[in-house]
Parts: sequence; C-alpha cells; structure tokens
Amino acid sequence: MNLMIDILVNVIIAFLAGSLILGLHRKIMARVQLRPGPPIVQYLLHSLKFFFKESAIPRTASMPFYVGIVVILAVVWIIGVIVGPVSHGSLLILFGVYAIYKIVEHNAGSSSGSPYGKMSCVRAVLSAATELPLFAAIALIYFKTGTMNIGEIIAYQGAHGPLALSIPLAALMFFILILTKSPYSPFAITKAKELITGFETEHFGFLRGFLMFSESIAWYVMLWLFLTIFFGPLSAIWYVVGMIVITFITGFVNATTPLLNPNHSVMTQITIAGACFVGTLLMIFI
Amino acid sequence: MIDYMIYLLAFIIGLIVGLLYSYKKHVEPYILKGLEIPALIIAILGWILVINFHFNIVLFAIGLFLVGFVIGERPGYGRGETLIGVGVGLLIHIIIRVFSMLW
Repeated sequence: MNLMIDILVNVIIAFLAGSLILGLHRKIMARVQLRPGPPIVQYLLHSLKFFFKESAIPRTASMPFYVGIVVILAVVWIIGVIVGPVSHGSLLILFGVYAIYKIVEHNAGSSSGSPYGKMSCVRAVLSAATELPLFAAIALIYFKTGTMNIGEIIAYQGAHGPLALSIPLAALMFFILILTKSPYSPFAITKAKELITGFETEHFGFLRGFLMFSESIAWYVMLWLFLTIFFGPLSAIWYVVGMIVITFITGFVNATTPLLNPNHSVMTQITIAGACFVGTLLMIFI
Repeated sequence: MIDYMIYLLAFIIGLIVGLLYSYKKHVEPYILKGLEIPALIIAILGWILVINFHFNIVLFAIGLFLVGFVIGERPGYGRGETLIGVGVGLLIHIIIRVFSMLW
C-alpha cells in the first residue's frame, strides 16, 4: 500500500513540477524574444482546462487506437516515474520507455488520419535518431560504473564524484536528448510549426489534456534522470535548482535557434552522439 | 515525499490566486509602473517564511503560498516586490545567523 501511495505522490509531483517547469520554459523563451510571455502557471492551467473541454473524434481516426495511444503515452511515462524517482531501477527500462514514447509519437500521428499527424508520424521514424545519444550515454555510464541500476549509479557517484566531471561528453550527449525533448527545440521535427502541433494536432479536449499531462511528467522524468545520473546524490533543493538551470539553458537555446530541417536535425544528433561517444571511450580507456 | 507535494500545491494555489487577484484588480490593457504595498507586504512575509522557516512544514507551505501569490501576478506585476522580498528575507536570515553565532 505504501508503494502505491509513493507512486501516486510521485506522479502528482512529476505532473505539477513538470507543468511549472514547462511554463517557466515558455516564459524564458518569451523574455528572450522580448515578449511578456504567459504566467508560469499557464501550462498547468491549460492542461487542466483540456480535461473539462468537449472531446471530439475525427471521422478519419482509426479507433480504438486513436484513444488508446493517449492512454499508452500516459502509462509509459508513469512507468518512467516508477522506474526513476520511485524505485531507482534500471536505466535500460527507461531506455525502453523512451523507445515506446517514439512509437507512441509515430502511432498518435498515423491514427488521427490528419495529414499533419501523418507527416509527424513519418518524421517520428526519422527522429528515432534521438535515441542514439540516449543509448550511447547509457552504454558509457555502464562502461564507467559497471552498473545500469540508478541506485547503484547514485552510490558510485557518492564515492567517486559526479559522472558529469568524469564523462562530460556523455552528459553533453544526454543534454542533447533533453534539448530534443524540450518544446520548440531546433531538433523537435515531429512538432514543427508547419505541422501545427504534429502528432497532437487532431487530439482534442480530454485527450489533449492527457497528452499534456504525459508531457509534463516526461519533462520532469528526463530532467530528474539527467541530474541523478550525472550529478549524483542531490537534495530536493538542488534538484529544483538544477531543473530550473537546465530549463533556462534549453529555453534560451530554443528561443534563439530556428527549427532544423529533418535531415539536418538527424545528422546533427548522430554526429554529436558519435563524436561524444568516441571522445568518452577515449577518456575512459586511455 | 508528501511534504514536497504539499509545498508544490501551496505554491501553485498561490500562483493561481495571485493571477486571479491581479487580473481582477488590474483590468487596464497596460502595465502600471511602481510597487504595490499589499503585494510588497505579502512578498516580504512570504520570503521571510520560506528562507527562515524551511524546517516547519506549515510555515514553509504558507510562505510558498505567499511567494507564489506575488510571482503569479499578471505578467509585468510582482517583480520588484519579489526582489525586495528576497532581499529582506535574506537580510533577516543573515541577522539571525549572526545573532545565533554571537550567543
């Protein structure tokens, strides 16, 4: 029973904190672009608002997949919370969570029947390249620490210092993944502005609320994971500071960079992943 | 973890209440310059509680609610008040630390 309460509390925290941080992200981007921007609570209010809006299902939608995929997305990131902040489980499961997230992006786009969603679906296949930095970072962490268990990685850093100092290029690689996941990112080809909101375009009302709920949790889990596996045992206040700092950096980058062409985006991510992987291997073994 | 959830909820409720209060008070389509005394008092009180009473769940949560109230005001409002609040909170924290070291 305690585990269930722990999971519930962590999911609520992930949703609330993730929403606030995404709201802060929008605010930072707005301030960099010399706009007042919305209040930081706006993202959360939008998420909650959609739960009470009328839901409509397009005639072209492929049911029940169109609805089911939204639930799958929420379940996927709740599993992310359980494996990460709750149980400090295996990084491989989180890699699996991210891989399923890509499948959800793909299928949410294709199931709606919208041309925007379908284009986003095609790009989701291309953007699977974002998993390369994640997989490479996980492999490098394993080479360095000898474990994929988050709890043991935290203990390793408690004894040997933060991994961000010993394998900084792996941390950079993981940061690229976070940058890719951030809203209005130069690498966010599945949600490019020419696709409206990409695979989310045809999800309305309650379903959109669910999508935003999942994205808040996703952003929190990604930031938590980055801070935990590269900066070691941190207190709550340092998690807050770290998440705000990362959001500032990604907000600044996204506000000042244009969206890359899909091919350029994928090649950039693969090039950075390759360079960082080889660089980190050299740092570990030489 | 429940205490962190309470803190988050207190802060978020503060943000929402502050936003509603601010939009009700300022209906004009432009931003008025200058400090607002009620918001300033709330910010100072909130930051004093947040910085100096973080060991007490109730006081810290009330502090976060008050801090959120001012931060959450309509865009353009509450910045100066927040900065002064942080300054006063830190000043009182330093004074308390100095006195506790002396005695």
